[in-house]
Amino acid sequence: MAGPFSDFKAGAELSEELSSSPTGKRNTPNSDSIVQSIDALNPKNSEIWYDLQNNLLGKDINIVFVDDIKLIMQDYIEEAHKVPLIVTLPKRLHNFKNFVLIIENNPIQQAMAIKPYRPIEALGMNIRLEDDSPVRAAVLGDNGVWYIGSKMVFVASAGGCSTPACDPSVEICETGTIGKIAVKQYEREAGAERIKLKITHPMETGFVTDVQGEIIPEYFVKNIHVDDNQGPIADITTFAALSSDPVILLDLPKKGQSVRIHAKDSLGLEFFSFKKNNTM
Amino acid sequence: MRFLNKIIIFLLYFYTYPTFSSNNFDLMPIEVSKNVFVFIGDNNDVNDDNGGAISNTGFIIGENAILVIDAGPSYLYASNVIDIINSYSNLPIKYLVVTHHHADHSFGISKYLEIKTEIIMAEAEVERYIKYGNRSLRQLSNNIGEEWFFNTKITSFQYKEKEYPINLDLGTRNIIIELYEEGHSEGDLIVKDINSNTLFVGDLVFGQRAPTSPHANIYNWKNYLDEIIKKDWDILIPGHGNIIKNKEDVLQTKKWITFIDKTAKQASANGISALEIFNKGLPDFIKGYKLAKETWYRDLPILINKYEFD
Repeated sequence: MAGPFSDFKAGAELSEELSSSPTGKRNTPNSDSIVQSIDALNPKNSEIWYDLQNNLLGKDINIVFVDDIKLIMQDYIEEAHKVPLIVTLPKRLHNFKNFVLIIENNPIQQAMAIKPYRPIEALGMNIRLEDDSPVRAAVLGDNGVWYIGSKMVFVASAGGCSTPACDPSVEICETGTIGKIAVKQYEREAGAERIKLKITHPMETGFVTDVQGEIIPEYFVKNIHVDDNQGPIADITTFAALSSDPVILLDLPKKGQSVRIHAKDSLGLEFFSFKKNNTM
Repeated sequence: MRFLNKIIIFLLYFYTYPTFSSNNFDLMPIEVSKNVFVFIGDNNDVNDDNGGAISNTGFIIGENAILVIDAGPSYLYASNVIDIINSYSNLPIKYLVVTHHHADHSFGISKYLEIKTEIIMAEAEVERYIKYGNRSLRQLSNNIGEEWFFNTKITSFQYKEKEYPINLDLGTRNIIIELYEEGHSEGDLIVKDINSNTLFVGDLVFGQRAPTSPHANIYNWKNYLDEIIKKDWDILIPGHGNIIKNKEDVLQTKKWITFIDKTAKQASANGISALEIFNKGLPDFIKGYKLAKETWYRDLPILINKYEFD
């Protein structure tokens, strides 16, 4: 399949469009980028991958790079503060035990981790990208092996983590309310379901300075607990490498009943998608 | 000897610097009717060859004054346009109509302020110009090079709040300016030159090219297109693309926005991500449009997002 979004393979396939540089960024990816990204995706060529693996996934682990974990995202990103991403898992991994999303070249390299209580077929989120980077989804199978799917992504304007998404020195910014949660459930084929949730939150990375040159301290949603009246669905640990007002998407093979969200941020504030006296 | 070196360096500087001197955008005005001119923008995305000059600019010469439609993407572009206009007529450029706030139509404003041209722009669009201008200027400079944006400044400016429609007389030449609120942008202006029966419609209509809709109210926009089709005109100048003489060509814009809007609404109703739609490949429908792919990829996620958590 042609087109810049055809990258269902974990490999470094870039489209023609990308090679011909549609938006004219200087040093935009070109045909050399295909070679570059094949190189960059090979963990053997990465100076940081093994440290990352040790720190985020654990030492002395079994690890396999696979191409059936698909990272669906654009090859070439215009707005690096909000980069949508969907990860689809092969059937053998629907019962995964842990999921970690890693952005190699970010100052905050881990975007999230998910411990599910039920099978999950696919998941999605919005992330920040500081620069061109391999993005990797690490999935712990029930056999104790970590499976890694990867995708190389290029950004038009670097700085998704270190420049303000709204910069008061050049524009008028409005701050919204913090901790407003929206949950939506969509029916999929054969009784399956998609859950989409959105939490309004600045998700400050701690790498952005304000107009006075002061660093805006990091401030982000840390945990999201998803459940329904059958019990827990997933515990999600989140980091400021998720975009502001993060959106998370979960595809479950079975429909959840009245899905609820309970989230906590790094200052200890708690947010609920339901009235609090319904104990969790 | 040292002095001679300086002269040589000075000369070299001028010889190696001609790209940013007189006509950096290869501007050639087309006279669509007597004393009505259009510069057709490069029908491509903004890139470091076209310097952002992708939209159309017009000027109308009356017996006493000149009116310009759209400021173009930069100070440099506006300066080039003004030089060319001055070579056609030494009458004052009295009015600049900025059809809406998008960078490719408005960033030349600072040049017109220097020559004391009166700026006519919808209030809501002036607000957006001020609010988002610097950010967008920074992005453009990063992407295509800051030399294109030399002296381009986003500052607030005096403009008279006016009741629309505005009637102007350029000297035995009557102009009507109408406001279309919350269509393609918050406030698109259209300019009619009565003498030549020419209508400048800004980005309410795109010629051949895929219309961009990041700030659009598509419902209103569709109605406005119907109104534009019904209006009396012989020549229609779209914001982008070639001059239109056939009313059916206006429908191209309507068809696109209807299609992308329907796709976005269906997707948001079913929780489908834009990425999943992209993954299926480009729909056949959009393939007849210039810049279809780029516009589809850029605008569909914005629209889905807009409808999704409404």
